[in-house]
Amino acid sequence: MAENSQTPESVTLTIDGRAVTVPKGTTILQAAEALGNRIPHYCYHPGLSAPAQCRLCLVEVEGAPKLQPSCITEVQDGQVVLTESEEATRQRTGVLEFYLANHPLDCPICDQSGECKLQDYVHAEGRKHGRSREPKRVFGRDDFGGDILFYGDRCVMCTRCVRFMNEMAQDPRLTVVERGNRSIIDTFFEEGVEGSPYAGNIVDICPVGALVSKDFLHKARAWDLDHKPTICPNCSQGCNIDLHVRDNRVQRLKPRANLEVNQYWMCDYGRHRYEWMNRDDRIESPVVNRSGQPVPSDWSEALEALHGRLEEGVRPVKAVASPFASNEDLAALRHLVDALGGGEIVYRLPRADREIPLPGFPRLSRRRDLAPNGRGAEILGMERVGDDEGAGGLDELAHYTGTLVVLGDELADLEADFGQQAALYIYVGSHPSPAASQADYLLPATTFAEQEGTFTNHEGRVQRFWPGLQAPGLARPAWLVLGALAARMEGGGVPTSAAEAFVQAAELAPEFQGLTYESIGTRGAIINEPVALPGA
Amino acid sequence: MSDETTERAPFRNPGWAGNTGEFELSEDEVRGRSYVGEHAPEGGHPSRVPTVPYMLPEKDPEAPLFEGPYAERFEKILSRYPNRRAALLPTLNLAQELRGRVSPETMAEVAQLLGLSDAYVRGVATFYTMYNKRPVGRYLIQVCTNVSCNLCGGDEVLAAFLEHTGTEAGEISDDGLFTVMEVECLAACGFPTAVQINSRYFENVTPDDVPAVLDRLREEAS
Ligand code: SF4
Ligand code: SF4
Ligand code: FES
Ligand code: FES
Repeated sequence: MAENSQTPESVTLTIDGRAVTVPKGTTILQAAEALGNRIPHYCYHPGLSAPAQCRLCLVEVEGAPKLQPSCITEVQDGQVVLTESEEATRQRTGVLEFYLANHPLDCPICDQSGECKLQDYVHAEGRKHGRSREPKRVFGRDDFGGDILFYGDRCVMCTRCVRFMNEMAQDPRLTVVERGNRSIIDTFFEEGVEGSPYAGNIVDICPVGALVSKDFLHKARAWDLDHKPTICPNCSQGCNIDLHVRDNRVQRLKPRANLEVNQYWMCDYGRHRYEWMNRDDRIESPVVNRSGQPVPSDWSEALEALHGRLEEGVRPVKAVASPFASNEDLAALRHLVDALGGGEIVYRLPRADREIPLPGFPRLSRRRDLAPNGRGAEILGMERVGDDEGAGGLDELAHYTGTLVVLGDELADLEADFGQQAALYIYVGSHPSPAASQADYLLPATTFAEQEGTFTNHEGRVQRFWPGLQAPGLARPAWLVLGALAARMEGGGVPTSAAEAFVQAAELAPEFQGLTYESIGTRGAIINEPVALPGA
Repeated sequence: MSDETTERAPFRNPGWAGNTGEFELSEDEVRGRSYVGEHAPEGGHPSRVPTVPYMLPEKDPEAPLFEGPYAERFEKILSRYPNRRAALLPTLNLAQELRGRVSPETMAEVAQLLGLSDAYVRGVATFYTMYNKRPVGRYLIQVCTNVSCNLCGGDEVLAAFLEHTGTEAGEISDDGLFTVMEVECLAACGFPTAVQINSRYFENVTPDDVPAVLDRLREEAS
């Protein structure tokens, strides 16, 4: 009986004196990680196969004749593992000395410095001085094409990059060439990895500074970067990413693990589209246009005046939204439009001609919809117009004579006469294009990178993002601006946080009901399927 | 004819059991004319087809992969393995036998034949030193300088070959006949210094033997 009392699938072992129970089949390295003990490793990566070749993760297992590679050794009941024993530590120190034998020690000019596993491990457990007297062999650097640069001398031969290209990208263009201490990662002569749509990930998983991004080369030091969790805004997949920020500028994007959405990866298309978040041409303060005279204003003055205009009575409303706006922003727009008597809301969305799946994890795919929140707009009853460039479709609205509200869409393809026939033209957005600047009320909004909020991805997963940049001037989240207006019109409460704005969104859309910022958490939550009405 | 050959081999080669006087056998009779016996381009019985890397004096860098008897041999090689990837090493051998080396183009062609990526084939071909990544002369002279041979003067034998061919290791001599290189143990440690020239072994070679060996090869080539 006693034997059966435990579920057969779990195993209890002791690691460095602490007991841990994990599912059968777990490796020692993973079990240790569950205890917060990160055993040094190079070749193991949770998203790839484990060849057990770097010999850095060796640990002592009581009863075993020699040290065991923890990355592939499965746990056993009653196992006693020592990761910090004298033997294990001595071994790691020895292995690290080999890793440094040919390493150029060029940390001062290496982009990986500060987030380098060789640096970290040697600092923790390496010898103070190397004993090698041989001259180091020198490879120099190689351009792998695309965004990728290879510094051969820094490589620790973990083959993570080779395995990523074989197993995940399934585009086996990398290999180990030559042997012994002449081994080097290379492609088929000049072939390179150019055009492989997920190749940027090899830079992320390279534990050292061997593979680096040309875009990021010598741009910032790792320790100067703030890592701000967010969602990639470049397609409807919604990869979980971090903005790496210095001096209030996004310096690069890095994937953040989410096993359901993007595992550990992101696509190159998304990775390299961040410059727009750093744009300097911003609407920085509210502007009220009175008969062609733009008058900069402040929030209370502008909103007061706008409210006055709305009180005078409004003509029928039509609105333009943006699929780059958060659920909260879009819901606040819907709210305001409804408060003004209801009306059609359209959005424009650039669309690629094909998806680009990651073959090793096809659930991750650069989707056709090249914006993060088309699904959110759809849920809130908005309608897509325009072409696959995200342009056109607004000809009629350009000469609309009622009340016109625009949220987020830059209107870059439209002339300055856009909305000039409207009885009232309100623009809430970030960039002062000619068509936007002529609005009666030009209200500065933050971009997604400067605010907290949620996007709904292609599969209906609501995912949170957090502010990474400081907003310029008086820019405020659109949910706050529109929410304040709607509240004035209807007498409801003004949301004081993104979480509250989401609650208001959930009141508008049954799909969001029951979800809260808490339940969405850092992993996201799937929306409720709309309930099909019987007979409908 | 066998007598003739014996006479034409004036270098001291006691490692060759044929001239110990114990048996009435000529060197030809013991070793066969090319010292590895005749070999058929189609490879003989499938069981030995993948195992023997031949090196022929006639090299045609443009030779097709594979035609005629060589196509037959390639089929036999494939029949020996569970999948095409496993047949990579003998296929590279076969390509090298025909073309004398494994050039980038050859790697790509072999990759195509076996359904592998070009990069993978390059990785394998560069791992093994017996694939010539650069062109070699008609005779590839591989001098062992590993332990036994080294103790018995392998370095001097190597130096003699370099001197008498007027090359640096790995180069092709001006007449296109010779490429000399240093190799690890040839598994003929009982007869140091061991030298492999194309597919045949020359054993107990001393620096003094070198001019005669080279002359003999020149004569063969003419
Ligand atoms: S380049 Fe980086 S990822 Fe690739 S084998 Fe070297 S250290 Fe590992
Ligand atoms: S797949 Fe989409 S969400 Fe993911 S990184 Fe690429 S563009 Fe961004
Ligand atoms: S991580 Fe275990 S051997 Fe490399
Ligand atoms: S050491 Fe030369 S053949 Fe073995």
